[in-house]
Amino acid sequence: MNKDLTSKRRLQTGAESILESISDGVFTVDAEWRITSFNRAAEAITGIRRRDAIGKTCSDVFRASMCEGDCALRHTVKTGKPIINKSAFIVNVEGRRIPISVSTAILRDERGQISGGAETFRDLSLVEELRKELEGRFQVGDLVSRSAAMRRIFDVLPQISASDATVLILGETGTGKELLARAIHNLSQRKNKPFIAVNCGALPDTLLESELFGYMKGAFTGAAKDKPGRFALADGGTVFLDEIGDISPALQVRLLRVLQEKTYEPLGGTSLLHANVRVVAATHRDLSAQIRKGAFREDLFYRLNVVKVELPPLRKRKEDIPLLIEHFVARFNRRQGKAVAGVAQDVMSLLMAHDYPGNVRELENIIERAFVLCGAGRIDRVHLPPELTGQQATAPAPTGDTIAAQTHAAEAQAIRAALESCGFNRLSAARELGLHKSTLFRKIKALGIELPDQDGRSHRKAT
Amino acid sequence: MKLALATWNGRISPVFDVARQLLMLDVEDGRVIARREETLPGTEQQAQADRLAALGPQTLICGAISQPMAAMLASTKIRVIPFTAGDVERVLGAWLLGTLPNPALSMPGCCGRRRCHGGRGGRKTQ
Repeated sequence: MNKDLTSKRRLQTGAESILESISDGVFTVDAEWRITSFNRAAEAITGIRRRDAIGKTCSDVFRASMCEGDCALRHTVKTGKPIINKSAFIVNVEGRRIPISVSTAILRDERGQISGGAETFRDLSLVEELRKELEGRFQVGDLVSRSAAMRRIFDVLPQISASDATVLILGETGTGKELLARAIHNLSQRKNKPFIAVNCGALPDTLLESELFGYMKGAFTGAAKDKPGRFALADGGTVFLDEIGDISPALQVRLLRVLQEKTYEPLGGTSLLHANVRVVAATHRDLSAQIRKGAFREDLFYRLNVVKVELPPLRKRKEDIPLLIEHFVARFNRRQGKAVAGVAQDVMSLLMAHDYPGNVRELENIIERAFVLCGAGRIDRVHLPPELTGQQATAPAPTGDTIAAQTHAAEAQAIRAALESCGFNRLSAARELGLHKSTLFRKIKALGIELPDQDGRSHRKAT
Repeated sequence: MKLALATWNGRISPVFDVARQLLMLDVEDGRVIARREETLPGTEQQAQADRLAALGPQTLICGAISQPMAAMLASTKIRVIPFTAGDVERVLGAWLLGTLPNPALSMPGCCGRRRCHGGRGGRKTQ
């Protein structure tokens, strides 16, 4: 009997030594959810001393985001199934949010009855910091990209934001014009003031005028009291004028005055108001063509076009598709509390081959739709919209029916992509494609690929 | 005045950042004259702060609260008594008596004094 007790005590001491030596936090609870043991790493991660933790309700000690709605240990005790590496955060004794991963197990007594549970948690702060640093290289605000074209935009964004100049953003629908405008605002000194977005194409002209500049009481029937316009609401901040190419000539004149003189007059007003706002405008239209047609004022165009940023469509930066998919999957997992692991390989191929007339917004909608149908595991073909799975790969290439024509088109597409990703440095592009530079030059000529004046060898000084 | 307590299962909710239930009380002359349950989004910090501000309490009693969340509430001018733990009625009783924060009703590791986590607790003299 004594021998049994001694060996049991020795085992316990051995287990305690192991628990004390590991870097993962471990605590155990009894059937009343009170802490019965708390190892050294748990003390270090939570900032709570063992003697303060023992005997206390576990949620008051652990303070994890999952305690209230989705306690991992409660789930394990209820179902008998352990949980491995569930993500959460805890609030430590200093009020810091610490990202952790949690694993659980059931504790049983000598008779096999459940006597409590054990929870192991790992501090992921360092992993999270590294992940953020890595993501930060490809992300500005909500814009995510690793393409060369977007990289160039990301690089100049801090300088654009630091200035107070008017910005004109050009890009097809769904390329993220408003996200870029928000990123500019959030990086600027005006970030603590309002960001007001107005879709100029969504409102009739007369309504848009009163929305932008506001009106005074009695300006028209129904104007019972003064109403401040968006320029007044954005005081000190940024006004984002989306679809600027859609506004009428009359409103263009008023807007020109705001940009030139920084003043405007509300409808029915008698005095000028000062507009302390930065204007960021955007359009999907070709404003130069609009000017030629006489639909857009040239002087307003030049006032808006102080700094121009062109967002490339998604079909011209397909290397971003996997990164964007990962970004959207993580975001929807977080928002909807799901555990979707990503997309299956054939789904990735389909998504890479699609043309995206709706750009990034279209891709986001495809993933959001898949989340409705898929709760866990990987997104499969069945979760994609039929128009995507029904059609064959719609790469923009095929022009002509013959195999030769299609091969040429595919070659041209690959060469263009390689040139763009290498900043039009032919030698690097040739290396990337596994071709000799002479072969590349020959193919560029034969396929009629147009090249910009710049050749990517910008480091060479002009002689 | 209006008092709010973040609650869960009859206790103070462990983490305010994700708390979903709020007990709103109207207090006059040291007595509770009305009480009702309200909900919080419990998802994003900004939404949590906006909802709380819309309910208009002057004081919030809650469990652990992260620094960013506390900073967000600071801009709403709501007095926060953070890192409080225990049975809701006991906590409320202590607050009405003016004995909150105190070590018996504080989360482990917290000193039970106001300066512990930047929250400026304690009942205001009315």
